[in-house]
Amino acid sequence: MRAIKGVLLTCDSAVKQILLTLNEKEAFIVEDLDETHVIIAPDKVERVRQALASELEKNAFSLEANVP
Amino acid sequence: MPAPAAEALPGQHILLSFLATQSQISLTRLYSKPSACLALFRLLNALERQIIMNYLWLEGPVSSNTMDVWVTRDGRAPYEAAMRTLASLQVLPSPKPGSNMLQLSPSFKKNFRLALTGGGDHMSFGVPCEKDLAGGVNVEMLDRYAANCWESILHFMVSSGTDGRASRPTKGILYLLDRSGLMAGQGAPKITSEGFQFLLTSPHAQLWTLLLQYLSITNERNIDMVEVIQFLFMLSTMQLGQEYSTEVFTNTYHSVLEDLIDYGLVYKRNPNRIYPTRLATTLTSGSSATTSSSAVSSQAQTGASLSGNSTVATAGGGFIILETNYRLYAYTENPLQIAIINLFVSLRGRFSNLVTGSITRESVRKALDNGITADQIISYLVTHAHPQMHKNNPLIPITVQDQIRLWEQEKNRVQIAEGYLWKEFTASTDYNLVLEHARSTSSVVWENEQARMFFVTPEGHASCRDFVNQRMREGGGFA
Repeated sequence: MRAIKGVLLTCDSAVKQILLTLNEKEAFIVEDLDETHVIIAPDKVERVRQALASELEKNAFSLEANVP
Repeated sequence: MPAPAAEALPGQHILLSFLATQSQISLTRLYSKPSACLALFRLLNALERQIIMNYLWLEGPVSSNTMDVWVTRDGRAPYEAAMRTLASLQVLPSPKPGSNMLQLSPSFKKNFRLALTGGGDHMSFGVPCEKDLAGGVNVEMLDRYAANCWESILHFMVSSGTDGRASRPTKGILYLLDRSGLMAGQGAPKITSEGFQFLLTSPHAQLWTLLLQYLSITNERNIDMVEVIQFLFMLSTMQLGQEYSTEVFTNTYHSVLEDLIDYGLVYKRNPNRIYPTRLATTLTSGSSATTSSSAVSSQAQTGASLSGNSTVATAGGGFIILETNYRLYAYTENPLQIAIINLFVSLRGRFSNLVTGSITRESVRKALDNGITADQIISYLVTHAHPQMHKNNPLIPITVQDQIRLWEQEKNRVQIAEGYLWKEFTASTDYNLVLEHARSTSSVVWENEQARMFFVTPEGHASCRDFVNQRMREGGGFA
């Protein structure tokens, strides 16, 4: 029995897949728990949050540019 | 942060719930002013007022049984609710144990009679002055002054000091906004989520929210709260457009007066003389808070119309048209209203009586980042919908409503919790034992029976560690 310090990320399964992809570039996942939960290293939280935000932002399309 | 008084019952004025939490001694002192009795009476609902009138001219106490026979079966619940309110305000105290005799509080009875019949030298309704010969002060001017003061506070809140045109309020107001949690941050305060909710309420409710906060900090400023309430009640019974002398005021009144001038409740032109504004005189205009708030908001619109030619004056003050394609048209040119809309709309064009814009992902994201919730945005749109919009059912296009909520959810796709993961239990009995302990401290965030892992908060971790260590020491043992 042992305990490890970490940060629990609760997300939906789509975000989980993105996290796994990001993890291949730079490992931060400490423990892959299940479909909607992962444990990540406490010192990487901010980096992951930013990477994730910019990744999600790629999938958002704005009307702004098209409006005359 | 002091709580802004107990939760108000539906339909009950928030001041009444605040007063109900005060001690009997304070309330008895409050009722020593006839104007306070009258103002309080005006805040009560029709039934409570009728009950007071029934008792007012009786010299002796009446048995509660006598009163009960007047109450029909359907009227039982409202009657009892009214009696509870009156008892909590110490107007009609509950009978002592072992007795069922009811009578008004002697102080309230005496002074309310005085308020109705006139006479006495209590001067609690203010001392009117001779007409100011210099002139220049009329009701319109007072309305404009009050609207300017009040709107500049709101404008400052909504722009969080970033807009150069919004003048910075005085220290006293800044402190009050900070204490009430409407704005947060030292030096450059920013509006909070509560602050946005505050902007959505009616002017009457806004005023009372701030005044209650003001009352709650009177203690630390060594100001007598009862006197402050008496003063507010006195102002509320004054007549708009009439000048009053301040020479009879107590020291407390004078220091409170300075603050009220900042809020726009009082206008001071000559030394020792004040004019109450509409904000002050509508403070206690009955339980029908709607009439008073519409009075103030129509007056706020006069303020707007004087700074330009506003066509805001549509019924109910609604001015926003929202289309299914997320475009928004706001028929206003009030800088405050535009600033509020700007919180969650990307504005594109401004015309003499109209601003246009659209609700976009970015603009809503910006609002969400400021702590504003999707529901608050939607409720603002509903309250300020243009009368034309009321033909639609539902009022706000469902696509827009859903999209705003979706944008909010999108922001919360990931939740983060710090803590510790417990794993590698060799036996399921061990797992269950420790998990059981963690559950008893309700600190389990996530668990998985098959993998024999669970995640606990930092506090829960410390407790679990102690639990395991103690068990080891006692030889309870783990596999």
